[in-house]
Amino acid sequence: MTRDPAAGGAMTPEELRAAIARQFGRSLHIRTLDTGSCAVCEQEIRLLAAPHYDLHRLGFFFTPAPRHADLLLVTGPMIRAFEVAARKTYDAMPGPKVVVATGACALGGVYPADPFTHGTVDAVLPVDVWIPGCPPSPLALLHGLGVAVGRLAEKVRDLPFTADDDPERERAAP
Amino acid sequence: MTLWFVRGLRRGVVTTRYPARPDESAALLPSPPAFRPRALTEDTARRLVQACPGGALQLARNAALLFDVGRCTACGRCAAAAPDAVTRSGAWELAASTRSVLIKEIPLRGEAR
Amino acid sequence: MTPLDCYYIAAVAWAVAALAGLIAVRAAGGLRACCALSALGGAAAAAGGGWSLLHGDTPVMSLGAATVTGGPVQLQATSLAGVFAALLGVVAVAIACYAPRYHQPSPGTALYLGAYHVALLGCLAVLAAGGMVTFLVAWETMSLACYLLILRHPRDPAVARGAFWFLALSEAGFLLVVAAFVILSAKTGSTTLSGIAAHAAAVPGGWRAAAFLLALAGFGFKAGLVPLHAWLPEAHPVAPADGSAFLSGVVVKLGVYGIALFAFRLAPPAGAWPGLVVMGGGAVTAAVGILYAMAERDIKRFLAYSTIENAGIIVTALGAAMIFRASGQQALYALLLIAGIYHVANHGCYKTLLFLEAGVTEHAAGTRDMDRLGGLVRRLPRSAVIAFAGTLGIAALPPLNGFVSEWLIFQGLFQGFRTGSHLTGILIVLAAGTLGLTGGLAVYAFVRGFGIPYLGMPRTRQAAQASERGQPVLGPALLAVLCVALSVGAPVVLFALSKMARTVTGVTLGPLLLPGNLTVIPAHTDFAAFSPTYLSVFLVCALAVPLLIYLAGRPRARSVRVPVWDGGIVSFKPRMQYSAMTFSAPTRVTFDALYRPSVSVSRPADDDPAGRSGPVHYAAPVTPVFKRYLYRPLVRALEWLADLVRPVQSGDVNLYLLYVFVVILLAYLLGSV
Repeated sequence: MTRDPAAGGAMTPEELRAAIARQFGRSLHIRTLDTGSCAVCEQEIRLLAAPHYDLHRLGFFFTPAPRHADLLLVTGPMIRAFEVAARKTYDAMPGPKVVVATGACALGGVYPADPFTHGTVDAVLPVDVWIPGCPPSPLALLHGLGVAVGRLAEKVRDLPFTADDDPERERAAP
Repeated sequence: MTLWFVRGLRRGVVTTRYPARPDESAALLPSPPAFRPRALTEDTARRLVQACPGGALQLARNAALLFDVGRCTACGRCAAAAPDAVTRSGAWELAASTRSVLIKEIPLRGEAR
Repeated sequence: MTPLDCYYIAAVAWAVAALAGLIAVRAAGGLRACCALSALGGAAAAAGGGWSLLHGDTPVMSLGAATVTGGPVQLQATSLAGVFAALLGVVAVAIACYAPRYHQPSPGTALYLGAYHVALLGCLAVLAAGGMVTFLVAWETMSLACYLLILRHPRDPAVARGAFWFLALSEAGFLLVVAAFVILSAKTGSTTLSGIAAHAAAVPGGWRAAAFLLALAGFGFKAGLVPLHAWLPEAHPVAPADGSAFLSGVVVKLGVYGIALFAFRLAPPAGAWPGLVVMGGGAVTAAVGILYAMAERDIKRFLAYSTIENAGIIVTALGAAMIFRASGQQALYALLLIAGIYHVANHGCYKTLLFLEAGVTEHAAGTRDMDRLGGLVRRLPRSAVIAFAGTLGIAALPPLNGFVSEWLIFQGLFQGFRTGSHLTGILIVLAAGTLGLTGGLAVYAFVRGFGIPYLGMPRTRQAAQASERGQPVLGPALLAVLCVALSVGAPVVLFALSKMARTVTGVTLGPLLLPGNLTVIPAHTDFAAFSPTYLSVFLVCALAVPLLIYLAGRPRARSVRVPVWDGGIVSFKPRMQYSAMTFSAPTRVTFDALYRPSVSVSRPADDDPAGRSGPVHYAAPVTPVFKRYLYRPLVRALEWLADLVRPVQSGDVNLYLLYVFVVILLAYLLGSV
């Protein structure tokens, strides 16, 4: 996270987490940025404002103006044609600011780096939180936003993505 | 207008209480796979790597399968290629603050931890 | 010494300036000498005009015995003409400071300066005329001199056409004015203006009405009342900038002076209906004028239509004054007369300024088309600041002078309920509503008129290379200072104008207009109040507050400077900006029924397999409603009539001899009867 240059000195991780929670925990303005996605991530992001998920009850709001934004929610594989606009959007946000990359495209999947695309948002913008998914469901996005403001704990570190069950034994046993 | 209002009153509150209360409706959606190390022979692993279109599965040198959760699109091709080795994980709270945390090392032919 | 003596000095100075202009322009310093004399004359006229406001009417002076015009030249400095003469003087001074840097010494300039000073003399004589014949001769002199003025480049067909429109409509108006004067002087038996005014009771009501309507139409041609306005947008673009400034700043006001003369001094008709006609005509003129202004890309045509709009506002105020007089509301009558005359002075200042700046723009950037300009605030900084002062004035934004006079007019109109007649009250409210619409559109129009050429990025290379070196600045700057002075010093101006109103109407408005403390009230203490002086000071101080907040609140830590958020665009192109026509598109769509654009789209053959089609031409010219449906049928009717009469001029000598014989026979018969 890019901190406000007015605050001096380095912080411990706990201090940083506390600072983030204090700064953004109760009110966060999100600016979405589509760097060339297929727009399905955008549809899931739009659902966040619908009654089923309602991000406003958590104090999160969408804003179109980077000047008013605290968090940049980036989708898409960062096509090269969009690089200037992405940098300008990021620069226009005043510190402290958080960048969240979401969707398989933004995390490096789907598209490799080639003359037309960077393939990952990390190549142009400093990313603070990654949200996998294709597309990430609105609940996954809420979890990711909660992690970004320090309200929710990361869980993926403890997930092994392994299964212990034996399918043959289950097929054998009626 | 009145009909919509009455219908809405009858339906009640549909907003999820997440994150105050757990909400597992997202677990029913397509999710990244979980692997069965017992069924992961090197041959199976190589087949899985070839089947993944997004490059989420790679073979590491020390006989492990590297699975990048971030690159996974839950397309299901790995499950179709080796149904014994792959099952659905149902995991959806996948946000991470470092990229490396999303790259999981699955041991081949070893015991599941 | 009377104000009339100041006018004599001005006349002599301008006569010498005309000669100097004709003879000595090509000599070194000849142009400057001519302009110095012109400025001297202007100062004298301005002094005389201002003085006559306070002095009241001078007695009628007759110069010389029988002259070729059939009677002695009769001059009188009236206070009603005072403001107009002061405006004439001020405009002359401003143009005199402007002309040396605008014109090149050449034979064309010599003739132009000669004509211009004869026009100045004509205007002064119209304002100082005490007799009917003097007035008419001076009026015609002014018209013809203005025609020569517009015809600075006679070889250009557009110039010739514009000048011809001016001349034709001037002459049409002149005929009607002559008829009006003849009716009045025949019925009252006097040819001096004060004589006509004194014997006004001798004119029966029907003749009064006829004379007034003839005068309204005749002077309306010059003032630019719709539908008699057609010459304004034709003549202004083709005249040199100072010529256009003179036309809009002074000549159009003389039309208003003529209407005021017939409405307030010479035998005005009784009843409320003349006032209603004048007010209604003025309101329609104002609305139509600004609506057509929105569709113009040429800066000078745009300003010409804006002149029509302001003439409409002034005439509306005068009409309402007539209504209030008819219903016995003397204080409001005087107030609206004052407000209308105040607006004359204000409009003269800022419209002249804007036309002079349009000339500077034309010389600096080479074009008058708004869509070819842009970013001039960086290339011509001083001109931009001066033009901005003029724009603030004409958009009637506080604290400048346009706001003060329009506020007075509105406050006068809002008190229409005091007339006691419901119908009149409703019509006055309708007029006020129309003026409100006009005011809003004027702000919109002038945001466009200032923003498109001066702000943003240059749209062409010529605009990007415009240079202020050698451009006149002093003349327009004087007018800008005067605009501010007329607003901050509004109490002083209103004091002088209330003296004028006392002479013209007999109503003493002192405490009902200026109750003290530099406040202005509209003729009734229980209605409204406003102080232009305090407002100006307050607005200047109010700017200090954000400044102090900024200075106090600047972050002490090192801050990051990043470019302005522009939507993430890679690079701005000039064509991404608003153009003049897209900015006014909402108005043009809303008032589509008035503009009736005839849209034409032409694209080259689109059989390109790749789908490319080349440049597409889109044109949506506004239908010239008045020319097509009023003037052209009239001209055709006249031509048909002329064709009918043509056989009379057969070219046969025998037929002509027959005519001579018949006329002699008739004269003999009539003489013996």
